[in-house]
Amino acid sequence: MSKANNKPDMLAQKHMITKSKKPKSKTPKTKPDLSVEIAGYRFKNPIWTASGTCGYGEELDTIFDLNRLGGIVTKSITRQPRPGHPTPRCAEESSGMLNAIGLANVGVEKYVAEKLRFLDEYDIGVVVNVAGFGFDEYVEVCAMLADCPRADMIELNISCPNVSTGGIEFGASASDVERIVKAVKKVFPRPIIPKLSPNVTNIAGIAKGAEAGGADAISLINTLIGMSVDIYTRRPGLTNNRGGLSGPAIKPIALSMVNRVYDVVDVPVIGIGGASSAEDVIQFMLCGASAVQLGTALFIQPDLPITVERDLKKYLTSQGLTSITEIIGKIEKY
Amino acid sequence: MKPIISADVDLLKRRDLKNGYFSLTFGPFARAKQCRPGQFVHIGFKQSSVFYRRAFSIANTNADDKSLEIILKVVGRGSKQMADLRIGDSVNFLGPLGKPFTLPNKKQTPILVAGGVGYPPLFYWANHLIARGWDPKRIVFLYGGQSSPDIVDRARIKRMGVKFIPVTDDGSFGERGRVTSPLVRALAENTYESPMIYSCGPEAMLKAVDQIGTEFETPGELAMEAPMPCGFGICLGCIVPLRAGGTARVCQEGPTFSIGTVKL
Ligand SMILES: Cc1cc2nc3c(=O)[nH]c(=O)nc-3n(C[C@H](O)[C@H](O)[C@H](O)COP(=O)(O)O)c2cc1C
Ligand code: FES
Repeated sequence: MSKANNKPDMLAQKHMITKSKKPKSKTPKTKPDLSVEIAGYRFKNPIWTASGTCGYGEELDTIFDLNRLGGIVTKSITRQPRPGHPTPRCAEESSGMLNAIGLANVGVEKYVAEKLRFLDEYDIGVVVNVAGFGFDEYVEVCAMLADCPRADMIELNISCPNVSTGGIEFGASASDVERIVKAVKKVFPRPIIPKLSPNVTNIAGIAKGAEAGGADAISLINTLIGMSVDIYTRRPGLTNNRGGLSGPAIKPIALSMVNRVYDVVDVPVIGIGGASSAEDVIQFMLCGASAVQLGTALFIQPDLPITVERDLKKYLTSQGLTSITEIIGKIEKY
Repeated sequence: MKPIISADVDLLKRRDLKNGYFSLTFGPFARAKQCRPGQFVHIGFKQSSVFYRRAFSIANTNADDKSLEIILKVVGRGSKQMADLRIGDSVNFLGPLGKPFTLPNKKQTPILVAGGVGYPPLFYWANHLIARGWDPKRIVFLYGGQSSPDIVDRARIKRMGVKFIPVTDDGSFGERGRVTSPLVRALAENTYESPMIYSCGPEAMLKAVDQIGTEFETPGELAMEAPMPCGFGICLGCIVPLRAGGTARVCQEGPTFSIGTVKL
């Protein structure tokens, strides 16, 4: 891959995310290799944790050693700290959940000063998720992260309402997405990964807009807008009335969208949406994902990344494969 | 490397406490000894009719046989699923989680104020204090419910030897009225030396206890409840607003909070 410039190289040394090298030997007896390359970085495995479902990493590290992850995507940060919406801001569904946390976060300044530091000593890819309510906010926050070497990459949460266009999601317009990606690419020297919203009519068009703007990879999907109602109180399950649906319920939609996007762009795709097992991760990878983020499933089984890592290796061995990269996009469609 | 704190345990004992209450004892749980009153375990099911795990306060532990007891009332699908477990069924424990109650100093008189389903952590707390050398007669145990059957597990409470003051709305067992009435009386009349309140129960009751504690300038701790998607701080779904501004996660900064800190 050619996307690596000199800067990631230096960072790679510091954080031990090694720049991509071709695997040397190909003897059948080699250990299954889970490493994947995305935007010029090599991740030790394709298992990432999704934004908003792993905090800033500290709590998850009490459950398992974070070094076992390929990458962590931290909770969306904004220019200013935000308390988020009042509770209830999560609602349980039969095969998933709704949330309207409201982008509660500590704000970029405190994030950089306190939270990001925690990840310094870990040998994992750190992807900082950035949200905003206007173009300027995205650009400002990304610019502030430019000098933080621990921010290996930025994932752009474009599922936010654009206050200047009456609250329509940025992610709903291919030209808006292109413009945002272009603008943040100018201020942040390392890879930019726009995270697409599934609440659109033409996901392929949005993905192409992202690529045209210079996206180094594309992740998808964010949550699907949903609602729940209590029939006795007649109240929605969330104070925000609507929220985002996540969990196993959305996996088929996510697989379909990942595959659609994989077919129309050249940059790596990162799958998100309901993955709860190694089998799910493999499905995403067959559909075209180079890495898969575990989200809501972490609430049910916090040590899931460990199980998935083990089971991915078993799968490779059972299939006589040496590298997980051999399955990316290898779905055999009718 | 960090230890993984989730573990499979079996249901060892199941007691029907009547009126929808059940006592379930699980084990062996290697961390039984590390558990403290006020803490909870987040329980995952093998076959489930619910999506999330469910958080339950710990009602007792036994370090010798590594067992852990939960007392619950069937109120929804999660608690129903728990009550339907059979001996030998296995569930997954994540925990112990959350901040436990803090010990009173030896001069203080612990006043435990339990309301309905808030009883289990206070039962554990009383046991724990006694095991640590507190004179049971100096532990005041106020326990309120709507009616006599809501005051469960009485024999065990009596056996502890604590000063047990049951209260029911309809007067069918113990004093008639609200559990907060004997609390106010005791504080107003200075019945006990240096009282320290520990309370768990419905939110309206906790709000009243919080007000009473504040008015009488009596320190204390409230064990709160909240729906918990994750139980260990990563989802931000269980927050409560704080008087001083900002929010706290019930699962992480709580579930025990000092009187006066949470905006109830
Ligand atoms: C409680 C919760 C909070 C989330 N917060 C964010 C967030 O701050 N930023 C973001 O880009 N996505 C957020 N997401 C979306 C997830 O990152 C992910 O895209 C989505 O949940 C689908 O994946 P899953 O089904 O595996 O959870 C959140 C999801 C949940 C459940
Ligand atoms: S339950 Fe998830 S943060 Fe408390």
